[in-house]
Amino acid sequence: MISVRDLTKVYTVPIKQPGLWGSLRSLVDRTTRDVVAVDGITFEVPEGQRVGFLGPNGAGKTTTLKMLTGLLHPTAGTCEVLGYRPKERATDFLRQVTLVMGQKQQLLWDLPPRETFALNRAVYGLTRTAWSDALDELVDLLDLAEVIDRPTRNLSLGQRMRAELCAALLHRPRVLFLDEPTIGLDVEVQALVRRFVRTYADRHGATVVLTSHDMADVAAIVDRVLLIGGGRLGFDGTLPTLSQTFGEGRRLEVRGADTDLGGIGLSRDDAGTWFVSGTAEAVNRALSAVLQAAPNADVTVTDPPLEEVLRRAFRAQGQAETPS
Amino acid sequence: MGSLTQPLAVLGALVRVSLMTGMQYRANFLADVATGAIRTLSTLGPVLLVYSRTDTIAGWTLPEALLVLALYLLMEGFVGGVIEPNLSMVVEGVREGSLDLILLRPADAQLMISLRTVAPSRLWDLVGGVIVGGWALATLPSLPTPIDVGVAAVLMLSGVAAVYGLWILAICLSFWFVRVDNLRFVLWSAFDTGMWPIPVFQGWIRAVLTYLVPVAVMTSFPAMAITGRWSPALVAQGLAIGVAFLGISRWTWRRALASYTSASS
Repeated sequence: MISVRDLTKVYTVPIKQPGLWGSLRSLVDRTTRDVVAVDGITFEVPEGQRVGFLGPNGAGKTTTLKMLTGLLHPTAGTCEVLGYRPKERATDFLRQVTLVMGQKQQLLWDLPPRETFALNRAVYGLTRTAWSDALDELVDLLDLAEVIDRPTRNLSLGQRMRAELCAALLHRPRVLFLDEPTIGLDVEVQALVRRFVRTYADRHGATVVLTSHDMADVAAIVDRVLLIGGGRLGFDGTLPTLSQTFGEGRRLEVRGADTDLGGIGLSRDDAGTWFVSGTAEAVNRALSAVLQAAPNADVTVTDPPLEEVLRRAFRAQGQAETPS
Repeated sequence: MGSLTQPLAVLGALVRVSLMTGMQYRANFLADVATGAIRTLSTLGPVLLVYSRTDTIAGWTLPEALLVLALYLLMEGFVGGVIEPNLSMVVEGVREGSLDLILLRPADAQLMISLRTVAPSRLWDLVGGVIVGGWALATLPSLPTPIDVGVAAVLMLSGVAAVYGLWILAICLSFWFVRVDNLRFVLWSAFDTGMWPIPVFQGWIRAVLTYLVPVAVMTSFPAMAITGRWSPALVAQGLAIGVAFLGISRWTWRRALASYTSASS
């Protein structure tokens, strides 16, 4: 489905000295340096899998996505998607993939979304039946009925993003590339977008490759996580494995206890909450001790927050920057 | 859908969308029409002024010069109404990375970037061109033969291809140098010379306007055909220039896409 071998992208960027004098000098004497955005990554994605690329800003996530969709030509290495080499931009390849970018839009700004959808019917060469079937399904899933005939410029960001998704999926792509799809959206629309991606992928067996800063996106959508930092791949596995590898384990918190729980191995924070972290077994043992010692206390057991897990994972990979 | 009908369907859909966009803002649309009409009239001024002092320039009479002017207005309408607004969007798209979404479409990217929008104000130059052309034909001592008209049409198409190719070449530069807005002004200034018959110019200027900025192929060459000044060599020259510009621009466009760096998001 997706096969990537030693994929590398090097950008040549100009170096400009600061200030006006520097600008003048760079007019005649331009120096450049090479920036390695993606540094020889290798991975495979089987059909129907949902994969999340996670990494700090500048880690190479979007560059990888753009090479997989054929927008950027790799400097070295190869990638294949659905058996095609994306950079050749074969029509049959482009008909089966889509890229949704949270920060860029394809909707025609001055016209209602319906006109963009009609344009895409021609661009993707869809029959009227195929087009209207897909449109009916997407309008229903994305709750677009009231939005579709209003000029795009009059729509809210959330409405526009929903219409964007509709425009991007009218041709029923087999592979969805999503670049920060929920950026800037309010909580409700974020949840709708996540639900929608899952439903669409389940219904049509689509493969999803997602980049995001939003851990809730990752937790809700993907089956597999690829950590990328400094252009290299780190961890590759499922979310529970990621938590086990880099998390502190589960955490037990006890509030309103009327006895001292220090004797059974818990610590107390400034707010008076007793807590202990550790493996599932250790936490379970502590839990049964707590229930005997303080049966009326308010007890919670939580998994470590994904943000915390990632921060540790990036630190382990030698990344100073943490995801925002 | 067949491989030949699909580009036509895309073309139709693009033209439909760009006309609808153009007409979205009614007041703006009417203002565009007015400025278009004024510009057409003001282009006539210099030619009429010069011919009020003399009967011929380089052997061209007023009706013949008006024919060149009519073709110039058609070119202005085509370049200003269709080519320029679209290709400036490309320059913007390269700088901001918004070209991404065009390149993801399973349709010819060059077709998509060439026809995303039209500027209705400049399309009025086309109307002006037709009116001035009708006036020129009516005042010519004799009507052109059907063969002359056919040759003129072929040369005009070749000229359109050459000018379009030139503009694509200019746009391709933005993939490497990002900002090339000033180049557009240089091209426009060169195009302004197209309102005069090419024999008016001599030496290297004439060569530049024929081979480098092939405005003469679009304006003077068809006018030469209509006024019976054509030879097989002229037709061959015009066709070769059109084909060359189209071919070189297509090749360069493909090279430019490979150098597209998008913009980080």
